[in-house]
Amino acid sequence: MDLSYVARILPALLNGALTTLALFALVLPLSLPLGFLITLCASCRFKPVKWLAQAYIFIMRGTPLMLQLFFFYFGLPFIPVIGPYLRLTSFSAAALSFTLNYAAYFAEIFRGGLLSIDKGQYEVSHVLGLTSFQTMTRVIIPQMIRVTLPSIGNEAITLVKDTALVASIALPEILHYAKGIVTRDFTTTPFIVAAFIYLLITFIVTVLFKFVERKVNYE
Amino acid sequence: MPMIEVKNLSKSFGALEVLRDVSFQVEKGDVVAVIGSSGSGKSTLLRCLIDLEAVKCGTIIIDGRALCRDGVYAPAREKKAIVLNMGMVFQHFNLYPHLTVLKNLLLAPRLVKGEKGDAPVERAMALLKKVGLDTRAGEMPGRLSGGQKQRVAIARALMMNPDILLFDEPTSALDPELTGEVLSVMRDLAKERMTMLVVTHEMGFARDVANRVIFMDGGRILEEGPPEELFNAPKQERTKAFLSKTSA
Ligand SMILES: Nc1ncnc2c1ncn2[C@@H]1O[C@H](COP(=O)(O)OP(=O)(O)OP(=O)(O)O)[C@@H](O)[C@H]1O
Ligand SMILES: [Mg+2]
Repeated sequence: MDLSYVARILPALLNGALTTLALFALVLPLSLPLGFLITLCASCRFKPVKWLAQAYIFIMRGTPLMLQLFFFYFGLPFIPVIGPYLRLTSFSAAALSFTLNYAAYFAEIFRGGLLSIDKGQYEVSHVLGLTSFQTMTRVIIPQMIRVTLPSIGNEAITLVKDTALVASIALPEILHYAKGIVTRDFTTTPFIVAAFIYLLITFIVTVLFKFVERKVNYE
Repeated sequence: MPMIEVKNLSKSFGALEVLRDVSFQVEKGDVVAVIGSSGSGKSTLLRCLIDLEAVKCGTIIIDGRALCRDGVYAPAREKKAIVLNMGMVFQHFNLYPHLTVLKNLLLAPRLVKGEKGDAPVERAMALLKKVGLDTRAGEMPGRLSGGQKQRVAIARALMMNPDILLFDEPTSALDPELTGEVLSVMRDLAKERMTMLVVTHEMGFARDVANRVIFMDGGRILEEGPPEELFNAPKQERTKAFLSKTSA
């Protein structure tokens, strides 16, 4: 592999990596709290809210992310009357569909996390006089985070790789640039460089999550 | 005035009647042992007293205040105040696994009573010393033995300065060699005239420490009395059968 060639194509690919990082930095912090809210709704005693949340999870997990992406980018403007006001930039469409999609997965992960917490934790908190809100924020959520962190880390890595899907709505990210250069220069090198950039990002994400896991480990 | 007064308490789970017309009183400083076979409703009785189960009929009066009168509960605020006057120790400790021993003790006083500064910390350390665990204040609960966990749980309950302590089989989850350290803490509390209601399978403890024993069977209080009487001269056939089974 010609290193000077790599150096020449690298700026474009790194430029694409910025899109990946921007999406990641936006989607992860938005979809986590949204996912938790959906979990709470899905276990709500008021049936309509519960059904709505469960339907949401069912639809978001049961259809391809690519379809959802197309829906928000290409589909929305065709809705009668309000459609023309729903024309999103490719980046907004990507951020929106990814956030909504990942929230559904996080909701399922959190549900499992909540189920794993002993009901004695709620009981002793009630007996000690904590309010439901205090019990949630000081007792349940900290334990839920610890239990779910490995799964959240997994999803975070999937998210990094899923950002490649936005190439399909012409949002320039790593893969988009790599493909362009491959068809221009007739060489596989850009794909290999792109792979290394993805690996670097997922490696950093993995290390970060391992670090946080160690921080919250209380065994 | 009795510390605990229960009148005509009944409780069902669906079609299953778990408590049937239970009435009893506990005086201040009494240590009452509740015994009976599995499924007789001992835990449910304790859980009703501290508002972990709701009842449809019956009266529960704690230290002169009605938690529930003829099935009608006190308003939320009053209910909370009544519950806070009691502490409960569970079979499986229910310590907060994500908090150190010291923080387990401090969480509720800080959040519920708004205690700040050194005072609650000093009280926590004094209580930990009392249960013999002041050197473990910074430890996570996961690193403690079962007996140590239960002693921390007792100290945590005492942090709220309750007038009444409820114990639901506090030593049943422990290895036999660890029950002694927990029972000895409970013995100390009894000496300080803490009002205690103890569901237990430890007949030795019931005999030595309790001043009254309640025998439950099929959701009813079948027999009650001082331990000498109930253990040595039970009146009911079912009490005899239960006692001969446990001592064997
Ligand atoms: N939440 C619940 N839902 C339905 N049934 C319950 C519930 N809690 C307890 N029961 C039933 O009520 C009955 C009494 O239970 P309880 O736990 O009070 O008995 P116990 O005397 O404490 O028994 P053990 O010695 O095994 O702890 C049992 O038949 C039990 O299956
Ligand atoms: Mg029980």
